[in-house]
Amino acid sequence: MKKQIILILALVLPLLSMAKSQENKDTDKYRYDLECAGNGSAGTYLVKVWSYSKKADVAENQCRKNAVHGVLFKGYGSGTDCIGQRALLSNPGAETENAEYFKSFFADGGEFQKYASIIGGTTETTKIGKEYKVGVVVSVRKDDLRRAMEAAGILQSLGFGF
Amino acid sequence: MKKYLFFLLSALSLSLMGYSQAMKPELMVFPSENWCINNGYYTEVTNMDYVQKVPDYRAALQGSMDLKMAIAKINDLFAQRGFPLSDLEQTLKNIEQERAEDMLTLSKNGNELSESPLDMISRVAKADIILELSWEAIENGPKTVLTYVLEAKDAFTGKSLGGPAGPLPGSMSASLPELLNEAIVANMDEFQLRIQDHFNDMQTNGREIRLDIKVFANNEAGIDLETEYGDEELNEIIQRWMVQNTVNRRFTARDASENHIYYTQVRIPLFDDYGAPMSANDFAKKLQKALKKEPFKIPAKVTPKGLGRAVIILGEK
Repeated sequence: MKKQIILILALVLPLLSMAKSQENKDTDKYRYDLECAGNGSAGTYLVKVWSYSKKADVAENQCRKNAVHGVLFKGYGSGTDCIGQRALLSNPGAETENAEYFKSFFADGGEFQKYASIIGGTTETTKIGKEYKVGVVVSVRKDDLRRAMEAAGILQSLGFGF
Repeated sequence: MKKYLFFLLSALSLSLMGYSQAMKPELMVFPSENWCINNGYYTEVTNMDYVQKVPDYRAALQGSMDLKMAIAKINDLFAQRGFPLSDLEQTLKNIEQERAEDMLTLSKNGNELSESPLDMISRVAKADIILELSWEAIENGPKTVLTYVLEAKDAFTGKSLGGPAGPLPGSMSASLPELLNEAIVANMDEFQLRIQDHFNDMQTNGREIRLDIKVFANNEAGIDLETEYGDEELNEIIQRWMVQNTVNRRFTARDASENHIYYTQVRIPLFDDYGAPMSANDFAKKLQKALKKEPFKIPAKVTPKGLGRAVIILGEK
């Protein structure tokens, strides 16, 4: 019996880690598009994030991470019913200068999760060639995200230096 | 003894740090002149036979609940970022107090305008940046479309720092206060980033002012800007002083003759040697003192023109 359990684990664990590594592989590239999806409630941005992966569920799982990444580093343009926003971190070198911090921040189960929630029933999936393009509306708690960046010393508070 | 000296120096440096860090730039929200006049909140002043419409900020605050709500919302969003704004209503009360004390009024010799309400409020509030707010709701079929403008201006130079402007997505159900609230919230992050950019520029390059240097005609000292002291003319001595006392040697001499030099885009330190905020007047007085010393001994009169401009007239006081 013990032998059978060990055998099963030996087969399943590599598969799980392969799935994870596929997610990370897709996410490390940060291949996504961000657009505004409405004016969010106070302290939040409502964004639609389109993520790409060979697996639809992988793309969907990465949407929260991509949404937070986009709000921090990319910003997004205006839509017909909403106003675009500049990236929270306007310094173009912020990501590389704080690479260690963001590696941990965006790790699986990392702190990024606290700042994004998926709006239910908004998923759209399209197959383009060999991969999937999955769009989800995400609410990003930008005020809390900004405070976290200020606390980490990555973003200056308003009036910093005075 | 060393311990006491160390303790004393530490306490002194900490208190100085606290003092300098406490001096944030002052920001204040105003309804724009255009909004006040379009909504009937103005008074008419005759200036040299010309009737001028002057915003009446008190009447605007008393008459428009939407304006009060909008200013309160902007104040609240800045306070959330740890940057409370100066309050327009309280500043107006302080001005009334000042008027009662020294009879400072809009009019001089009857109707002549001596200081605009905006300049007066900026001066009393010591605002570094003014935020001018205006909006207009237009009915477009079943929809109400709001055009919203919030423009930041450097109170010293009058230069615009930009800000959100333009029509917002219309709504068939939202009321004007709801649309206004939404416009303020949706545009605030971008707006605050612009203001932070300006703060960063001020910290790197100093505060921008304008300095005019003139000479009294037939003055008692018998000097003009071409009077020589050793090998140098007075205008060269002043130029050297400007190089030594401006931030990163940044200034432009726009026009110069034996009777005047106009310096624009003069970048001065934010604070003086004692950590107090420096205005154009303070900077001009520093030059006045330098010229009063040996070997020049030039008397001079300094006249402030708002926060960001000063005139030094050489030859007499």
